[in-house]
Amino acid sequence: MLAHPAWSAGTSAGTVIENVAQVNFDISGLNITLDSNVVSLTVAERVDVVVALQSPEILAASGEVDSGLLFTVSNTGNGSEAFSLEIDSVLAGDDFDPTPAVPAIYFDTDSSGDFSVGDVAYQAGVNDPVLAADASINILLVNDIPTTASNGQRGRSELNARSLTGSGSVGTIFNGQGDNGVDAVLGMTGGSGAATGVYLISDVQVQILKSVVVADPFGGAEPVPGAILNYAISIEVTNSGTAANAVVTDVVPTNTTYVSNSLQVNSSALTDAPDLDAGELNTSGVATLVVRLGDLTQSDGRQTVTFQVSID
Amino acid sequence: MKSMSKLAVFLFFTATSMAVFAQDGGYLEVNTVVQTEEAYTDEAGELRTRLVAAEKVVPGDEVIYTVTFKNVGDEPAENVVITNPISADLTYVAGSAFGASSSVQFSVDGGKNFAAAEDLTVSEDDAARLATPEDYTHVRWLFSNDLAPGAQGVVRFRARLK
Repeated sequence: MLAHPAWSAGTSAGTVIENVAQVNFDISGLNITLDSNVVSLTVAERVDVVVALQSPEILAASGEVDSGLLFTVSNTGNGSEAFSLEIDSVLAGDDFDPTPAVPAIYFDTDSSGDFSVGDVAYQAGVNDPVLAADASINILLVNDIPTTASNGQRGRSELNARSLTGSGSVGTIFNGQGDNGVDAVLGMTGGSGAATGVYLISDVQVQILKSVVVADPFGGAEPVPGAILNYAISIEVTNSGTAANAVVTDVVPTNTTYVSNSLQVNSSALTDAPDLDAGELNTSGVATLVVRLGDLTQSDGRQTVTFQVSID
Repeated sequence: MKSMSKLAVFLFFTATSMAVFAQDGGYLEVNTVVQTEEAYTDEAGELRTRLVAAEKVVPGDEVIYTVTFKNVGDEPAENVVITNPISADLTYVAGSAFGASSSVQFSVDGGKNFAAAEDLTVSEDDAARLATPEDYTHVRWLFSNDLAPGAQGVVRFRARLK
Protein backbone atom coordinates (compact mmCIF):
# COMPACT_ATOMS: atom_id res chain seq x y z
CA MET A 1 0.00 0.00 0.00
CA LEU A 2 1.34 3.40 -0.94
CA ALA A 3 1.01 6.25 1.49
CA HIS A 4 -0.19 9.42 -0.23
CA PRO A 5 -0.98 12.84 1.13
CA ALA A 6 -4.69 13.50 1.39
CA TRP A 7 -5.28 15.91 -1.49
CA SER A 8 -8.36 17.98 -1.16
CA ALA A 9 -8.93 16.97 -4.79
CA GLY A 10 -8.67 13.37 -3.62
CA THR A 11 -6.28 10.47 -3.88
CA SER A 12 -3.85 10.98 -6.75
CA ALA A 13 -4.62 9.36 -10.07
CA GLY A 14 -2.55 6.22 -10.56
CA THR A 15 -2.34 5.40 -6.86
CA VAL A 16 -2.45 1.62 -6.41
CA ILE A 17 -4.40 0.43 -3.36
CA GLU A 18 -3.67 -3.17 -2.48
CA ASN A 19 -5.70 -5.25 -0.11
CA VAL A 20 -5.02 -8.58 1.59
CA ALA A 21 -7.57 -10.09 3.96
CA GLN A 22 -6.45 -12.39 6.72
CA VAL A 23 -8.20 -15.35 8.33
CA ASN A 24 -7.29 -16.64 11.76
CA PHE A 25 -8.74 -19.84 13.21
CA ASP A 26 -8.12 -22.85 15.45
CA ILE A 27 -8.06 -26.40 14.20
CA SER A 28 -7.31 -29.27 16.59
CA GLY A 29 -5.84 -26.82 19.07
CA LEU A 30 -3.56 -25.27 16.46
CA ASN A 31 -3.90 -21.52 15.82
CA ILE A 32 -3.36 -20.67 12.18
CA THR A 33 -3.32 -17.40 10.24
CA LEU A 34 -3.63 -17.33 6.46
CA ASP A 35 -3.53 -14.48 3.93
CA SER A 36 -5.89 -14.09 1.02
CA ASN A 37 -4.89 -13.26 -2.51
CA VAL A 38 -3.78 -9.65 -3.14
CA VAL A 39 -6.47 -7.54 -4.74
CA SER A 40 -5.45 -4.19 -6.17
CA LEU A 41 -7.28 -1.10 -7.22
CA THR A 42 -5.75 1.60 -9.40
CA VAL A 43 -7.21 5.06 -8.85
CA ALA A 44 -8.47 6.57 -12.10
CA GLU A 45 -8.12 10.25 -12.93
CA ARG A 46 -11.06 12.50 -12.25
CA VAL A 47 -11.00 15.47 -14.60
CA ASP A 48 -12.43 18.65 -13.10
CA VAL A 49 -11.78 22.35 -13.51
CA VAL A 50 -13.24 25.44 -11.87
CA VAL A 51 -12.95 28.98 -13.22
CA ALA A 52 -13.59 31.79 -10.76
CA LEU A 53 -13.73 35.56 -11.27
CA GLN A 54 -11.27 37.40 -9.05
CA SER A 55 -11.91 41.00 -10.12
CA PRO A 56 -15.03 42.54 -8.76
CA GLU A 57 -17.07 44.56 -11.25
CA ILE A 58 -14.37 46.59 -13.01
CA LEU A 59 -14.90 50.31 -13.58
CA ALA A 60 -13.90 51.32 -17.10
CA ALA A 61 -14.20 54.39 -19.28
CA SER A 62 -15.65 54.36 -22.77
CA GLY A 63 -12.82 54.12 -25.29
CA GLU A 64 -10.44 52.62 -22.71
CA VAL A 65 -7.97 50.09 -24.12
CA ASP A 66 -6.49 46.95 -22.54
CA SER A 67 -8.74 46.69 -19.50
CA GLY A 68 -8.07 43.44 -17.63
CA LEU A 69 -10.40 41.07 -15.78
CA LEU A 70 -8.69 38.64 -13.40
CA PHE A 71 -9.77 34.99 -13.18
CA THR A 72 -8.42 31.88 -11.46
CA VAL A 73 -8.40 28.51 -13.20
CA SER A 74 -8.15 25.63 -10.71
CA ASN A 75 -7.56 21.95 -11.39
CA THR A 76 -9.95 20.33 -8.93
CA GLY A 77 -9.31 16.85 -10.30
CA ASN A 78 -6.83 14.34 -8.90
CA GLY A 79 -4.33 14.28 -11.73
CA SER A 80 -2.21 16.59 -13.82
CA GLU A 81 -4.19 18.25 -16.62
CA ALA A 82 -3.61 20.70 -19.45
CA PHE A 83 -6.35 23.19 -20.24
CA SER A 84 -7.27 25.22 -23.29
CA LEU A 85 -8.59 28.73 -22.71
CA GLU A 86 -11.10 30.76 -24.68
CA ILE A 87 -12.61 34.21 -24.38
CA ASP A 88 -16.19 35.10 -25.23
CA SER A 89 -17.15 38.77 -25.06
CA VAL A 90 -20.33 38.48 -27.12
CA LEU A 91 -22.73 37.55 -24.36
CA ALA A 92 -26.42 38.09 -23.83
CA GLY A 93 -27.70 40.09 -20.89
CA ASP A 94 -25.44 43.11 -21.05
CA ASP A 95 -25.52 46.59 -22.58
CA PHE A 96 -22.47 46.40 -24.83
CA ASP A 97 -19.90 43.90 -26.04
CA PRO A 98 -16.33 44.54 -24.93
CA THR A 99 -13.83 44.09 -27.80
CA PRO A 100 -11.22 41.42 -27.05
CA ALA A 101 -7.70 42.77 -27.44
CA VAL A 102 -5.33 40.83 -29.71
CA PRO A 103 -4.22 38.68 -28.00
CA ALA A 104 -6.94 38.76 -25.35
CA ILE A 105 -5.84 36.11 -22.86
CA TYR A 106 -2.79 36.57 -20.65
CA PHE A 107 -1.13 34.83 -17.75
CA ASP A 108 -0.77 37.12 -14.75
CA THR A 109 2.97 36.46 -15.00
CA ASP A 110 4.00 39.20 -12.59
CA SER A 111 1.21 38.30 -10.11
CA SER A 112 0.13 41.94 -10.07
CA GLY A 113 -3.55 41.06 -10.38
CA ASP A 114 -3.97 43.38 -13.33
CA PHE A 115 -2.83 43.56 -16.92
CA SER A 116 0.75 44.79 -17.09
CA VAL A 117 3.79 44.81 -19.37
CA GLY A 118 5.38 41.63 -18.01
CA ASP A 119 2.31 39.43 -18.54
CA VAL A 120 2.76 36.64 -21.12
CA ALA A 121 0.07 36.10 -23.73
CA TYR A 122 -1.70 32.74 -23.92
CA GLN A 123 -1.47 30.90 -27.23
CA ALA A 124 -3.75 27.91 -27.71
CA GLY A 125 -1.79 24.73 -28.32
CA VAL A 126 1.51 26.46 -27.52
CA ASN A 127 1.46 27.32 -23.83
CA ASP A 128 -1.73 25.70 -22.59
CA PRO A 129 -1.44 25.79 -18.79
CA VAL A 130 -0.63 22.42 -17.23
CA LEU A 131 -1.86 22.24 -13.66
CA ALA A 132 -1.09 19.59 -11.05
CA ALA A 133 -3.97 18.29 -8.96
CA ASP A 134 -5.23 21.11 -6.72
CA ALA A 135 -3.06 23.72 -8.47
CA SER A 136 -4.44 26.94 -9.90
CA ILE A 137 -3.27 29.79 -12.12
CA ASN A 138 -4.36 33.39 -12.57
CA ILE A 139 -5.54 34.41 -16.02
CA LEU A 140 -6.41 37.87 -17.37
CA LEU A 141 -8.95 38.62 -20.06
CA VAL A 142 -8.05 41.87 -21.78
CA ASN A 143 -10.73 43.86 -23.60
CA ASP A 144 -11.06 47.28 -25.18
CA ILE A 145 -14.15 49.30 -24.29
CA PRO A 146 -16.09 50.62 -27.30
CA THR A 147 -16.35 54.41 -27.52
CA THR A 148 -20.10 53.94 -27.94
CA ALA A 149 -20.46 52.48 -24.44
CA SER A 150 -22.02 55.10 -22.20
CA ASN A 151 -21.98 55.82 -18.51
CA GLY A 152 -23.65 53.19 -16.30
CA GLN A 153 -23.68 50.52 -19.01
CA ARG A 154 -22.34 47.03 -18.39
CA GLY A 155 -20.44 44.74 -20.74
CA ARG A 156 -19.60 41.10 -19.94
CA SER A 157 -16.66 38.92 -20.90
CA GLU A 158 -16.30 35.20 -20.21
CA LEU A 159 -13.30 32.92 -19.72
CA ASN A 160 -13.74 29.26 -20.64
CA ALA A 161 -11.28 26.56 -19.60
CA ARG A 162 -11.50 23.08 -21.07
CA SER A 163 -9.52 19.98 -20.21
CA LEU A 164 -7.40 18.80 -23.14
CA THR A 165 -8.09 15.20 -22.12
CA GLY A 166 -11.71 15.90 -22.96
CA SER A 167 -14.89 17.51 -21.74
CA GLY A 168 -18.59 16.78 -21.90
CA SER A 169 -21.07 14.84 -19.78
CA VAL A 170 -20.26 13.88 -16.21
CA GLY A 171 -18.99 10.31 -16.09
CA THR A 172 -17.64 10.23 -19.65
CA ILE A 173 -14.67 7.88 -19.72
CA PHE A 174 -11.46 8.36 -21.67
CA ASN A 175 -9.73 4.99 -21.57
CA GLY A 176 -6.04 5.23 -20.80
CA GLN A 177 -6.03 9.03 -21.17
CA GLY A 178 -5.28 9.84 -17.53
CA ASP A 179 -1.98 10.27 -15.71
CA ASN A 180 0.42 7.40 -16.42
CA GLY A 181 -2.13 5.74 -18.67
CA VAL A 182 -4.90 5.26 -16.12
CA ASP A 183 -8.45 5.86 -17.28
CA ALA A 184 -9.77 9.42 -17.07
CA VAL A 185 -13.33 10.10 -15.97
CA LEU A 186 -15.09 13.46 -16.24
CA GLY A 187 -16.13 14.70 -12.79
CA MET A 188 -18.94 17.00 -11.75
CA THR A 189 -17.64 19.90 -13.85
CA GLY A 190 -17.59 17.80 -17.02
CA GLY A 191 -13.99 18.85 -17.58
CA SER A 192 -14.80 22.46 -18.36
CA GLY A 193 -15.51 25.64 -16.48
CA ALA A 194 -16.39 29.26 -17.14
CA ALA A 195 -16.81 32.52 -15.29
CA THR A 196 -17.93 35.95 -16.42
CA GLY A 197 -16.52 39.33 -15.55
CA VAL A 198 -18.27 42.68 -15.92
CA TYR A 199 -17.07 46.09 -17.08
CA LEU A 200 -19.11 48.98 -15.70
CA ILE A 201 -18.74 52.23 -17.60
CA SER A 202 -17.98 55.16 -15.35
CA ASP A 203 -16.98 58.38 -17.07
CA VAL A 204 -16.61 60.15 -13.77
CA GLN A 205 -13.50 62.35 -13.39
CA VAL A 206 -11.95 63.46 -10.14
CA GLN A 207 -9.73 66.53 -9.88
CA ILE A 208 -7.54 67.20 -6.87
CA LEU A 209 -5.78 70.49 -6.20
CA LYS A 210 -3.48 71.17 -3.27
CA SER A 211 -2.34 74.66 -2.17
CA VAL A 212 -0.42 76.10 0.77
CA VAL A 213 -0.32 79.52 2.45
CA VAL A 214 2.59 80.34 4.80
CA ALA A 215 2.18 82.51 7.90
CA ASP A 216 5.39 83.24 9.80
CA PRO A 217 5.43 84.33 13.47
CA PHE A 218 6.29 87.88 12.42
CA GLY A 219 3.19 88.57 10.36
CA GLY A 220 4.94 87.75 7.10
CA ALA A 221 4.94 84.76 4.75
CA GLU A 222 8.49 83.40 5.26
CA PRO A 223 8.87 79.62 5.74
CA VAL A 224 10.97 79.94 8.89
CA PRO A 225 10.90 77.68 11.98
CA GLY A 226 7.66 78.29 13.85
CA ALA A 227 5.86 79.38 10.67
CA ILE A 228 2.42 77.82 10.11
CA LEU A 229 1.67 76.15 6.75
CA ASN A 230 -2.03 76.27 5.89
CA TYR A 231 -2.76 73.44 3.46
CA ALA A 232 -5.94 73.18 1.41
CA ILE A 233 -6.87 70.19 -0.74
CA SER A 234 -9.86 70.60 -3.04
CA ILE A 235 -11.62 67.67 -4.69
CA GLU A 236 -14.10 68.04 -7.49
CA VAL A 237 -16.01 65.36 -9.37
CA THR A 238 -17.13 66.09 -12.91
CA ASN A 239 -18.97 64.23 -15.68
CA SER A 240 -21.61 61.63 -15.03
CA GLY A 241 -21.06 58.82 -12.60
CA THR A 242 -20.04 58.35 -8.99
CA ALA A 243 -16.60 58.34 -7.38
CA ALA A 244 -17.40 55.66 -4.81
CA ASN A 245 -15.80 55.76 -1.35
CA ALA A 246 -13.54 58.71 -2.09
CA VAL A 247 -10.76 58.99 0.51
CA VAL A 248 -8.18 61.78 0.73
CA THR A 249 -4.87 60.92 2.38
CA ASP A 250 -1.96 63.29 2.84
CA VAL A 251 1.33 62.73 4.66
CA VAL A 252 2.48 65.38 7.14
CA PRO A 253 5.65 66.82 5.48
CA THR A 254 9.04 66.03 7.03
CA ASN A 255 10.46 68.69 9.36
CA THR A 256 6.98 69.86 10.18
CA THR A 257 4.56 69.05 12.99
CA TYR A 258 0.85 68.73 12.55
CA VAL A 259 -1.09 71.40 14.46
CA SER A 260 -3.50 69.52 16.72
CA ASN A 261 -7.20 69.72 15.86
CA SER A 262 -6.57 71.76 12.72
CA LEU A 263 -8.17 69.21 10.36
CA GLN A 264 -11.37 70.43 8.68
CA VAL A 265 -13.59 69.35 5.82
CA ASN A 266 -15.70 72.05 4.17
CA SER A 267 -14.90 74.29 7.17
CA SER A 268 -16.24 71.76 9.68
CA ALA A 269 -13.76 70.58 12.31
CA LEU A 270 -12.78 66.92 12.45
CA THR A 271 -11.22 65.33 15.52
CA ASP A 272 -7.71 63.92 15.24
CA ALA A 273 -8.75 60.65 16.87
CA PRO A 274 -9.82 57.65 14.75
CA ASP A 275 -13.52 57.75 15.64
CA LEU A 276 -16.87 57.96 13.95
CA ASP A 277 -16.30 61.27 12.18
CA ALA A 278 -14.98 61.43 8.62
CA GLY A 279 -11.33 62.08 9.38
CA GLU A 280 -8.33 61.47 11.62
CA LEU A 281 -4.58 61.73 12.01
CA ASN A 282 -3.17 58.26 11.49
CA THR A 283 -0.04 58.00 13.62
CA SER A 284 0.83 54.38 12.91
CA GLY A 285 3.90 54.83 10.75
CA VAL A 286 4.39 58.17 9.01
CA ALA A 287 1.84 60.69 10.34
CA THR A 288 -0.91 60.82 7.71
CA LEU A 289 -4.17 62.71 7.51
CA VAL A 290 -7.14 60.69 6.30
CA VAL A 291 -10.52 62.10 5.30
CA ARG A 292 -13.33 59.92 3.98
CA LEU A 293 -15.60 61.83 1.63
CA GLY A 294 -17.93 58.94 0.76
CA ASP A 295 -19.60 58.66 -2.65
CA LEU A 296 -19.13 61.83 -4.67
CA THR A 297 -20.94 63.01 -7.76
CA GLN A 298 -20.82 66.22 -9.75
CA SER A 299 -23.82 67.56 -7.81
CA ASP A 300 -21.84 67.41 -4.55
CA GLY A 301 -19.66 70.25 -5.80
CA ARG A 302 -16.18 71.08 -4.59
CA GLN A 303 -15.01 69.44 -1.35
CA THR A 304 -12.24 71.14 0.61
CA VAL A 305 -9.99 69.56 3.22
CA THR A 306 -7.76 71.91 5.23
CA PHE A 307 -5.14 71.40 7.92
CA GLN A 308 -2.12 73.15 9.42
CA VAL A 309 1.44 72.13 10.18
CA SER A 310 4.21 74.15 11.84
CA ILE A 311 7.81 74.17 10.63
CA ASP A 312 10.14 72.53 13.19
CA MET B 1 29.63 -17.60 11.49
CA LYS B 2 27.17 -17.45 14.33
CA SER B 3 24.65 -15.44 12.37
CA MET B 4 24.86 -17.81 9.45
CA SER B 5 23.93 -20.79 11.55
CA LYS B 6 20.93 -18.90 12.96
CA LEU B 7 19.77 -18.18 9.44
CA ALA B 8 20.04 -21.84 8.56
CA VAL B 9 17.85 -22.81 11.51
CA PHE B 10 15.24 -20.23 10.56
CA LEU B 11 15.07 -21.50 6.98
CA PHE B 12 14.73 -25.05 8.25
CA PHE B 13 11.65 -24.22 10.32
CA THR B 14 10.02 -22.23 7.56
CA ALA B 15 10.42 -25.09 5.17
CA THR B 16 8.98 -27.52 7.72
CA SER B 17 5.82 -25.50 8.38
CA MET B 18 5.21 -25.09 4.66
CA ALA B 19 5.48 -28.79 4.25
CA VAL B 20 2.77 -29.34 6.87
CA PHE B 21 0.33 -27.18 4.88
CA ALA B 22 1.15 -28.96 1.69
CA GLN B 23 0.52 -32.37 3.20
CA ASP B 24 -2.88 -31.44 4.55
CA GLY B 25 -4.00 -29.71 1.37
CA GLY B 26 -4.68 -26.57 3.48
CA TYR B 27 -7.41 -25.82 6.00
CA LEU B 28 -9.21 -22.73 4.85
CA GLU B 29 -9.21 -20.95 1.54
CA VAL B 30 -9.69 -17.22 1.66
CA ASN B 31 -10.32 -14.98 -1.31
CA THR B 32 -10.90 -11.25 -1.65
CA VAL B 33 -12.32 -9.09 -4.45
CA VAL B 34 -12.91 -5.37 -4.85
CA GLN B 35 -15.92 -4.19 -6.81
CA THR B 36 -18.10 -1.19 -7.48
CA GLU B 37 -21.85 -0.89 -7.73
CA GLU B 38 -23.31 -0.25 -11.15
CA ALA B 39 -26.87 0.79 -11.86
CA TYR B 40 -28.68 -0.95 -14.71
CA THR B 41 -32.20 -1.52 -15.97
CA ASP B 42 -33.38 -5.12 -16.11
CA GLU B 43 -35.69 -6.75 -18.70
CA ALA B 44 -38.74 -5.66 -16.71
CA GLY B 45 -37.57 -2.05 -16.84
CA GLU B 46 -36.69 -2.00 -13.14
CA LEU B 47 -33.67 0.02 -12.06
CA ARG B 48 -31.28 -2.30 -10.24
CA THR B 49 -27.70 -2.36 -9.11
CA ARG B 50 -25.04 -5.00 -9.60
CA LEU B 51 -21.44 -5.43 -8.58
CA VAL B 52 -18.81 -5.09 -11.25
CA ALA B 53 -15.01 -5.18 -11.20
CA ALA B 54 -13.62 -1.96 -9.69
CA GLU B 55 -12.26 -0.02 -12.62
CA LYS B 56 -12.27 3.73 -13.21
CA VAL B 57 -12.62 4.45 -9.50
CA VAL B 58 -12.17 8.16 -8.75
CA PRO B 59 -12.11 10.10 -5.46
CA GLY B 60 -15.52 10.08 -3.82
CA ASP B 61 -16.52 6.71 -5.33
CA GLU B 62 -17.47 3.79 -3.11
CA VAL B 63 -15.86 0.40 -3.50
CA ILE B 64 -17.00 -2.88 -1.97
CA TYR B 65 -14.59 -5.46 -0.61
CA THR B 66 -15.89 -9.00 -0.36
CA VAL B 67 -13.94 -11.72 1.43
CA THR B 68 -15.07 -15.33 0.97
CA PHE B 69 -13.64 -18.19 2.98
CA LYS B 70 -14.20 -21.94 2.90
CA ASN B 71 -13.14 -24.82 5.07
CA VAL B 72 -11.39 -27.17 2.64
CA GLY B 73 -10.00 -29.39 5.40
CA ASP B 74 -11.43 -32.36 7.28
CA GLU B 75 -11.92 -30.74 10.67
CA PRO B 76 -14.08 -27.87 11.87
CA ALA B 77 -12.36 -24.49 12.22
CA GLU B 78 -13.02 -22.77 15.52
CA ASN B 79 -12.80 -19.10 16.50
CA VAL B 80 -12.69 -17.91 12.90
CA VAL B 81 -11.69 -14.25 12.57
CA ILE B 82 -11.47 -12.38 9.26
CA THR B 83 -9.36 -9.22 9.39
CA ASN B 84 -9.17 -6.67 6.61
CA PRO B 85 -7.04 -3.51 6.56
CA ILE B 86 -8.60 -0.23 5.44
CA SER B 87 -6.14 1.64 3.25
CA ALA B 88 -5.18 5.17 4.28
CA ASP B 89 -6.62 6.28 0.93
CA LEU B 90 -10.04 4.86 1.83
CA THR B 91 -12.64 5.72 4.43
CA TYR B 92 -14.82 2.96 5.84
CA VAL B 93 -18.50 3.62 5.14
CA ALA B 94 -20.31 3.64 8.50
CA GLY B 95 -22.53 0.64 9.09
CA SER B 96 -21.47 -1.15 5.92
CA ALA B 97 -19.69 -4.18 7.43
CA PHE B 98 -21.76 -7.28 6.79
CA GLY B 99 -21.19 -10.86 7.91
CA ALA B 100 -23.81 -13.40 8.98
CA SER B 101 -23.52 -14.60 12.60
CA SER B 102 -20.50 -12.46 13.29
CA SER B 103 -19.65 -9.52 15.48
CA VAL B 104 -17.79 -6.65 13.88
CA GLN B 105 -14.91 -4.78 15.48
CA PHE B 106 -12.60 -2.01 14.36
CA SER B 107 -9.06 -0.91 15.04
CA VAL B 108 -7.65 2.62 15.01
CA ASP B 109 -4.03 1.62 15.69
CA GLY B 110 -3.02 -0.44 12.71
CA GLY B 111 -4.63 -3.66 13.94
CA LYS B 112 -3.06 -3.88 17.39
CA ASN B 113 -6.29 -3.40 19.35
CA PHE B 114 -9.86 -3.96 18.30
CA ALA B 115 -13.22 -2.96 19.78
CA ALA B 116 -16.83 -2.57 18.73
CA ALA B 117 -17.57 0.82 17.09
CA GLU B 118 -19.40 2.12 20.17
CA ASP B 119 -16.47 1.22 22.47
CA LEU B 120 -13.63 2.48 20.30
CA THR B 121 -12.00 5.76 21.29
CA VAL B 122 -9.21 7.96 19.98
CA SER B 123 -7.20 10.27 22.21
CA GLU B 124 -7.02 13.77 20.83
CA ASP B 125 -5.63 16.81 22.67
CA ASP B 126 -5.33 14.72 25.84
CA ALA B 127 -9.02 13.81 25.70
CA ALA B 128 -10.68 10.65 24.49
CA ARG B 129 -13.36 10.85 21.85
CA LEU B 130 -15.39 8.18 20.10
CA ALA B 131 -13.56 6.94 16.99
CA THR B 132 -15.16 7.79 13.65
CA PRO B 133 -14.94 5.78 10.42
CA GLU B 134 -12.18 8.17 9.28
CA ASP B 135 -10.04 6.78 12.12
CA TYR B 136 -10.49 3.10 11.29
CA THR B 137 -7.42 1.25 10.07
CA HIS B 138 -8.83 -2.30 10.18
CA VAL B 139 -12.16 -4.07 10.33
CA ARG B 140 -12.62 -7.63 11.57
CA TRP B 141 -15.38 -10.17 11.92
CA LEU B 142 -15.48 -12.69 14.79
CA PHE B 143 -17.50 -15.85 14.25
CA SER B 144 -18.94 -17.60 17.27
CA ASN B 145 -19.94 -20.74 15.34
CA ASP B 146 -17.46 -23.27 14.07
CA LEU B 147 -16.91 -23.51 10.34
CA ALA B 148 -17.61 -27.14 9.45
CA PRO B 149 -15.63 -28.94 6.73
CA GLY B 150 -16.98 -27.85 3.36
CA ALA B 151 -18.81 -24.86 4.82
CA GLN B 152 -18.12 -21.34 3.62
CA GLY B 153 -18.77 -17.81 4.69
CA VAL B 154 -18.68 -14.31 3.29
CA VAL B 155 -18.05 -10.87 4.74
CA ARG B 156 -18.27 -7.53 3.02
CA PHE B 157 -17.74 -3.82 3.63
CA ARG B 158 -17.82 -0.59 1.72
CA ALA B 159 -15.19 2.13 1.63
CA ARG B 160 -15.05 5.52 -0.06
CA LEU B 161 -11.98 6.64 -1.96
CA LYS B 162 -10.55 9.82 -0.45
